Amino acid sequence: MKTGGHIVSSFSCVDILVALYFGGILKVAPENPEWEERDRFILSKGHGETALYAVLASKGFFPEEWIDTSYRRNDCRLGGHPDVKTPGVEVTSGALGHGLGLAAGISLAAKMDGKSHLQFVLLGDAECTEGSVWEAALFASKQGLDNLIAIIDRNHIGSIDFTENYTSLEPFPDKWKAFGWAVRSCDGHNFKDLLDVFNYSKTHENKKPLVVIAETVKGKGVSFMENSPVWHACALTKEDEIRQAREELRRCEDENV
Amino acid sequence: MKMSSIDMRDAFIGELYGRARLDKNIIFMSNEYGAPSLDQFRDDLPGQFVNAAISEQNLISTAAGMAMGGKRVYVYSIASFITLRCLEQIKIDLCCMRVPVTIIGVGSCYAYSVDGPTHHATEDISLMRAMANMQIYSPADSNATASLVDVSLNSSDPMYIRLDKGKHPLLYEKNYDVSPGYSVFGDGEDICIVATGTMVHRAIEIGAELRKHSVGTRIIDMYRLKPVSPGNILQAIGRPKKVFTIEEHTIHGGLGSIIAEIMMDANLTIPFRRFAISDDLLYAYGERANLQRCRMLDVDSVVKSILEGEFFRRGVQNVV
Repeated sequence: MKTGGHIVSSFSCVDILVALYFGGILKVAPENPEWEERDRFILSKGHGETALYAVLASKGFFPEEWIDTSYRRNDCRLGGHPDVKTPGVEVTSGALGHGLGLAAGISLAAKMDGKSHLQFVLLGDAECTEGSVWEAALFASKQGLDNLIAIIDRNHIGSIDFTENYTSLEPFPDKWKAFGWAVRSCDGHNFKDLLDVFNYSKTHENKKPLVVIAETVKGKGVSFMENSPVWHACALTKEDEIRQAREELRRCEDENV
Repeated sequence: MKMSSIDMRDAFIGELYGRARLDKNIIFMSNEYGAPSLDQFRDDLPGQFVNAAISEQNLISTAAGMAMGGKRVYVYSIASFITLRCLEQIKIDLCCMRVPVTIIGVGSCYAYSVDGPTHHATEDISLMRAMANMQIYSPADSNATASLVDVSLNSSDPMYIRLDKGKHPLLYEKNYDVSPGYSVFGDGEDICIVATGTMVHRAIEIGAELRKHSVGTRIIDMYRLKPVSPGNILQAIGRPKKVFTIEEHTIHGGLGSIIAEIMMDANLTIPFRRFAISDDLLYAYGERANLQRCRMLDVDSVVKSILEGEFFRRGVQNVV
């Protein structure tokens, strides 16, 4: 059985998740995941589940041993894509192009009721070729949802190729601006940069939803996986590759401390 | 039989309007689709109406999001569009997460008779019943339709209500209790005809014609198509000589399939035939009756077919 998970897609977005959950951005209560006043985080790119599980476990939403004993296995609690049965997971995702609309609906309901919680949605850049993303983008700007923050993991790679080889996301910021969104770009692997823009997102109130385009590297931190489309759904299985990946990630960690 | 004074959708929206005035959590979302009764809702309750534009995928996702945020959400559109265009949103955002949004699809079957196959909702039952946790209602008159407001407000699961257009004869009193999911007309023991939606009226007309030929009929109105209670339906069918289903819906997976499954699961092998739409789309335009004639679903064709009984000799291959 293949138990690898979507590793490279998770490496491109894990710094974003760490900034949100451990940088004092998201207002959440691991001991009470259903807390009504919580900020909502929606992983629209469901194939970032490996990163999400690691962060939720570290945050205390569920025991860390679930990662070892209960991930992508028979009788598991943590599936190959996130689902609502897992504490801390807001929505079932995995099919692309759903998260932004779901978050827009939650945001509109919150506005109607005068509630102050925020909705953060993480989308893949290649996910943005789904038409439903742009339906939601039109809806959110017209409804003035400044309690909605979309974050795009701009790693420039889809499932089998570089995005600009098969579609035209660029000029990406201009497209969002034209749809009525406020746009910020940042380095998706630089915590200072991420925290600056996320702290801004918590205060911005200009009747516009905000999109943060986070420039990232797919497979970040492991030299032979970085920027290589073939790794999208591949598991690390060879002993020497696992050893090298661990060493390189440890070095990354030391540099970031 | 007394004719209803209002369209089915106006019956539903009118009833809902009364509840929405008292409960601001009731939200009505449309994709640029109107109704006379909706004008009053929009004028009086602008904060509870969302025109979500012609974007069915986003309509379902945002409705699900709003329901997660504590709202009681109604999604309103043309039946064919709001079931097919956004099927994956219905599956994941509503059914996988058991979010109690109510979808009101207007224009079941050939209701948009002059508008062609793009507007014909002839696959919706089949697709919606394949969705886990989805409830399906298909009422035959405006009073049964209005009763569904209460059902939907109290539901903890997603629901699809398929409504016909126009005014139809009244079969039920106001505040009719729809909890059984079906009702029975007539007590004939020769044949049983099961129908849904406004085809129940055709079935009653067919029954009246057959009585002239001394064939006793019993008509079942299946206004709830999911969930069904097989035991109750089998009891309602009884032990007639023949069982028929009639529907303006593809023969694949609709009412006929539901009844066939119930009967086969119970090893009930009464001679059986489905009157439904064969496996192609209809490029015919004009009056509803004309389209039904094209499909041999009009009263004369069905009565003739039942009386001649030819289908029992030819076997099922000619039906599909």
